[in-house]
Amino acid sequence: MENRNFHQTWFLTRFSLKRDWLKLALWSVTLIVLFAAVAAKFTTIYDTQASIDEIVKTLKSPSMVSLFGKLSGSAPYSTADVFAGEMTVFMAMMAAIMNFSIIIKNTRGEEDSGLLEIIQSHSVGKLSNLSSSLIELFIINLLIGFFYALGLQFANLTGTDTNGNFLLGLGLGAAGFMFATIAAFLSQLVDNSRSATILSYIVFGIMYIARMSTDVSNPKATWFIPFGWVEKFSTYQENNWLPVVLMLGLSLILSIAALWINDHRDIGSGIIATRPGRAKASAFLRGPLSLFWRLHRTTIIVWVIGLLILGFTYGSIFNTIGDILKTNPAMEKLIGATAVHKANILIIKHFVAILMIVFGVLALFPGIQIINYLKSGESKGYLELIHSKPVSRDYLFTSVLVLGILTSLIALFAGMLGLQLGGASVMKHPVAMSVFLHGFYAYISPVLIILALSACIVGWLPKFAVFGYLYTGFALFVGYFGKLIDLPKWVAKITPFGYIPNVPVRKLDMGTMWWQLGIALTLIIIGYIGYHIRDLKSAN
Amino acid sequence: MMNQNNNAILHIDHLQKNFGKFQALKNVTFDVYPGEVFGFIGPNGAGKSTTIRTLLGILRASGGTATLFGKDVYKDSVSIHKRLAYVPGDVYLWPNLTGGEIIDLFLKLGNTKHNRKTDMMIKRFQLDPTKKARTYSKGNRQKVALIAAFSTDADFYIFDEPTSGLDPLNEEIFQQSVMELKKEGKAVLLSSHILSEVEKMCDRIGIIRSGEIVETGSLSDMRHLTRTVIEFQTMQPTTELQTLQGVHNVTVGTNGLTTFSVDSDQMSYVMGYLASKQIVSLQSTPPTLEDLFMRYYSSNEGR
Ligand SMILES: Nc1ncnc2c1ncn2[C@@H]1O[C@H](COP(=O)(O)OP(=O)(O)O)[C@@H](O)[C@H]1O
Ligand SMILES: [Mg+2]
Repeated sequence: MENRNFHQTWFLTRFSLKRDWLKLALWSVTLIVLFAAVAAKFTTIYDTQASIDEIVKTLKSPSMVSLFGKLSGSAPYSTADVFAGEMTVFMAMMAAIMNFSIIIKNTRGEEDSGLLEIIQSHSVGKLSNLSSSLIELFIINLLIGFFYALGLQFANLTGTDTNGNFLLGLGLGAAGFMFATIAAFLSQLVDNSRSATILSYIVFGIMYIARMSTDVSNPKATWFIPFGWVEKFSTYQENNWLPVVLMLGLSLILSIAALWINDHRDIGSGIIATRPGRAKASAFLRGPLSLFWRLHRTTIIVWVIGLLILGFTYGSIFNTIGDILKTNPAMEKLIGATAVHKANILIIKHFVAILMIVFGVLALFPGIQIINYLKSGESKGYLELIHSKPVSRDYLFTSVLVLGILTSLIALFAGMLGLQLGGASVMKHPVAMSVFLHGFYAYISPVLIILALSACIVGWLPKFAVFGYLYTGFALFVGYFGKLIDLPKWVAKITPFGYIPNVPVRKLDMGTMWWQLGIALTLIIIGYIGYHIRDLKSAN
Repeated sequence: MMNQNNNAILHIDHLQKNFGKFQALKNVTFDVYPGEVFGFIGPNGAGKSTTIRTLLGILRASGGTATLFGKDVYKDSVSIHKRLAYVPGDVYLWPNLTGGEIIDLFLKLGNTKHNRKTDMMIKRFQLDPTKKARTYSKGNRQKVALIAAFSTDADFYIFDEPTSGLDPLNEEIFQQSVMELKKEGKAVLLSSHILSEVEKMCDRIGIIRSGEIVETGSLSDMRHLTRTVIEFQTMQPTTELQTLQGVHNVTVGTNGLTTFSVDSDQMSYVMGYLASKQIVSLQSTPPTLEDLFMRYYSSNEGR
C-alpha cells in the first residue's frame, strides 16, 4: 500500500530539482546574498555601543515592533541582536513568498495544466508528486538555512555565537518549510492553483496581522501564531530552539494532512468543489473590460479588503505609538495639551511615512498582475479567440491598463482609509483623513510610473514581464530597510518612490508629480506602440 | 468561373513569415471563394496555424500580401473580424467561467447575441453549458468554440484542426454543420491533417509542406493520388491480387493476414474480387496524408 502510493517519489524529487533548478537557484542565491550582505554591512554601521543603543531605541518603539517584530532579551544589546531583530520577520516573509509560489506551482499548478495526469499515467504513486514536492522544498529550505548560518559565521558580528547562528539560519529554513506545508495543505482544499494562492496569502495575511497586534499589545500571545514563532528564537540571547521544534511539528502535521486529503480525493478536485454556474452570461459580461474584471474580481476584492484591514490594524496601534506621555508623563505640564497632541500627531505621521512604501508596493502587486495578464493570458492561449474578434489591440491594452491602474489606486486608497479608521477607533482626537490623503496623492505618480513600466514591457518584451514585480520588490526593500542598513542615497533614487520622501510629514511636491506623470504617460504610449506592432504569442 | 479572382473572399499572395531566422512560411498562395469549403492540409509543423494566425492579424506577415474581403488582414483586422468566425486547434478557456458564459461572451464580442441557433448548437453537440471550463475535456472546450462560431452569422469561417479532440459522433455533427454553412453560401477554410475529413467536405484543397503550398486543386484532380490500405484474410487463396490494376505493395504476414494498398478508383473492383474469395476479416485504413505526400512525390518523379 505504502509503496504503491509513494512509488518513484525519489525519482520525481530528482526530476523536479532538475526542472526547477534555475528558479531554485535564483531564489536561494538572492535570499542568501541579501541576508549575508546585510549581515556584513552591519559590522560597519553598528560598530559603537552608542549607535547600537540609538537603533535599539528605535526598534523598541511600537511602530518598529509592528513592522519588524519584537526585539527580544534585554540590554546591553550587541550588533548581532540588532541584526536578528531587524531581519528575522522580513526574511520569514520572503521565505513565505518563495515557498508559496514553488509548492503551489508544483502541486496544484501541475494538476491544472494536466501535466500531473501524464506523470501519473506512468508507474508513479498517487502521492508521489506531493511528497516529492515537499521533499524538494525541505531540501531547498534546509540548504538555504544552512547557508544563512554559514553567512553569519563568516560575517562574525559582535555578539554572535555558533549556536545562535545556526538557530537563526536553520530556524528561518524551518519557517520556509512550514510555509510550504501550509500552502501544500491549502492547495488540497481547493481545486485550482489560483484559489490556492489566494487562500495561502489570506492565511498569511491573517497571521501577519495577528502577530503584529500581539507583538504590540501582548507579546506572549504571539506564541499562538505560527508566523510569530520566528520571533521567539531569542537569537543570541536565550537561543531558544523550541520554536524550531514547533515549526517542524506543525509542518509534519500539515504534510500528513495534505497527503491524507490527496489520497482521498480525485485528481483535479478539491475538498471545496467548483460548483456549476450560469448557463448564460449575465448582461454585465459583455466586453474585454468586464471580462478582465470578472477574471480578476476575487483578486481585486481580496487585495482591497486586505489592505483596508492591514491599514486598520496599523491604525489601531496609533494610540500606542503616538503617545509621548507614556514615556514622558511630565510632558503635558511642560508644554501643554495642544502641543502634546501636535507632537503625537507628528510621531504618527513619521510612522505613516514608513508605512507608505509598504502600502504603495502592496497596492502595486494586483495592478501589475492585471496588466501582465496581456502576457500570461496570451501565453496560456486564453486570448487567441479574443484576438479573432472585432476587438482592437488598443482596446485590449486600454482595458487592462484602466483596470490595473484603478485597482492599484483603489487598493492604496483602501489602505489609507483603513489607517484613518483604525486610528479613529482608538484615539480620542483621531488623525484627520486629509493627512492620509496627502500620502495617497503623493503616491499616485510613482505608482503610475511602475504600472506604466509594466505596460511598456508587456507591449514590447512580454518575456520580461516579471521585471515589474522585481522592481517593486526592490522598492520595498529600499524603502523598508534603506535607513536601517544605511544604503547610499542614490540607491533610493533608482525607484520613483525615492523622489517622494517622507510624505505625509512633508507635503507632496507638484513639480515632482508632474514630471513623474509625464514619464508614466510616455511609457504608456511606448507600450501602446509595441503592443500594436508585435506578434502575439500562442499557447502552442 | 473565369473571373473568380475578382470575387475571392480570401486572397493570399506569396505570404511569408519568419520567426527570427526560421522561415515558417516561405510561399503561401491561394484563394478561397464564397460558397466553398477549402481544405488546407499538411503535416504537423507545415505552417497551417501560422498561416491562419497571420490571416487573423495575430502575427504580422514578413512578406507577401493577404486580404480578406478585399482588406489587409493586419491593418483592417477589426473590421474584417466583424464578418469572421474562428476556431483554433487548441482551445483554451478561462477555467472559472462556465461554457455558457464563454459562448455568450464570444458572441457579444462579435456584436451578436445568444440566439436560437446557439441553443440548437448546444443541443446538437450535447454540451452542458453550466459547467466551469476547468472541468471540460479538450473535446468539450472545442465544442464551446465551435458552438460560438456556428451560431455567429459570419461570411468567412476558419477552423484550425477543429476535430482533433472530438469523438466520431461529434465529428459527424461538425461536418454536418459545415455543410449547412456551405449551403448558405459561406466560405470556409478548414485546416486538417486528416485526409478523410477533408475529402468528405472540401471542394478544393491546398497542400502545404514546410511553409510552401505544393498543390492546390479540386479533390477529383487529386483523386488519383489517394490510396487506401487494406488488411484482410480470406478462405481461398488470392493469388491474382498482385496482378490486379491499382493494387500495390502486397505483403503476406505470418499471421495469415495480407496487406496491400489500392487506388481509390479501383476500390470497388478489388473489393468484389476479395468478396469472391470469401472474406474472413477485413480492415481498411483510409489514406493518410503521409501516403498522399509519398504518392504525390513519387508520381512527380514518374512524370
Ligand atoms: N512563435 C513561433 N516562434 C518560432 N517558431 C514558430 C512559432 N510558431 C510556429 N513556429 C514554427 O513554425 C512552424 C509551423 O508551425 P505551425 O504553423 O503551428 O504548423 P501546423 O499548424 O501546420 O502544424 C513549426 O516548425 C513551428 O515550430
Ligand atoms: Mg497547427
